[in-house]
Amino acid sequence: MQITGGNKKLNMATPVSVLRLPKGPDPNSRGFDPKSPRFIALCRTSIPTSAVSEADVEQLPKEQHARSVLRESFLRCLLSVTNKKVQFHMYERVKVEATFGASDIDVMNFQVSDLHTPIGVQKEALIRCQDVISFSFDA
Amino acid sequence: MQCGWSLLGPLQWIRYINKQVKVKTGKDEEHRGWLLTVDPVSASLVLVNFHDDAVGGGRASVQVVMGHAVQEVQVLQDADQETTERLQSSFLPPRARPLAPEQLGQRRAGVRRWLEENRVPVQEDGEELLVAGALTIMAPYGPEDCCSSNQIILDRVQRLIQSQPAAARRATRKRKAQQHRARANHASRAQRRHHAAQSCPIMA
Repeated sequence: MQITGGNKKLNMATPVSVLRLPKGPDPNSRGFDPKSPRFIALCRTSIPTSAVSEADVEQLPKEQHARSVLRESFLRCLLSVTNKKVQFHMYERVKVEATFGASDIDVMNFQVSDLHTPIGVQKEALIRCQDVISFSFDA
Repeated sequence: MQCGWSLLGPLQWIRYINKQVKVKTGKDEEHRGWLLTVDPVSASLVLVNFHDDAVGGGRASVQVVMGHAVQEVQVLQDADQETTERLQSSFLPPRARPLAPEQLGQRRAGVRRWLEENRVPVQEDGEELLVAGALTIMAPYGPEDCCSSNQIILDRVQRLIQSQPAAARRATRKRKAQQHRARANHASRAQRRHHAAQSCPIMA
């Protein structure tokens, strides 16, 4: 998807207008409709607590404590990324830069501003987490 | 492409924290860094790499690897005490210096006065302030220190405390008022002497 090598780098300063992609067979088939079979198959909304057998019922509070410690740390990390420039590494060797806005609760989508794409700068965009391999920023 | 990593669970994930790990996400793709945390919802790893430049001091670059893209996670080494502390304190909010008890008392009184001026019922309960029986303000009595289960009251009181004029401004206003009063007294005394002089020519 990214055109590299040889070509002159275009000046991407001016934002492009929002592209209206053609509609799919039903009105919400752009990948975000939570009721679509594709969404249900690919994107679990959350990881459930592990099925705890009766033997380790006492593990449950420990697991919950671990879960909350990890989640709080992750949320603080997300808080510190807001309004910073991040680089997204996505599939098909796509690397784009944007200003991080927010994430949703299940880490399914990221809201970003000023997304630099090969076709121009998108002022506001929603990036699907399933498409992202990793993203990096400077603290 | 869910490998075992996403299915491990919080108890396993927390054992990888504060260790240097190598994460494989593709055939030739590897990410290394100190593991800060793992998101329990998406199994994403937060890796930190410190760059200690002489110029900018300690800077860190952070990489978040999404859980669904992880193929393998290998532990390289454990962190020593210093790195662990650095990691754990990198994203915490800056802790304000603890205030002395008299300063705390003054601040508490100041916040209480401000709330009373704004007709908000407030009671002092030891070190805490009880507002309208539904909200508690703890030291150091800032907007972030309000606790309540009522969202509306919480929002209102937080905004109120945020808009409180700073204590320093209050002190200068007091001083200025005192100076103004002193000047006024001085002026009236001078006027009286002048009148007295005028009415009694002998004393001139």
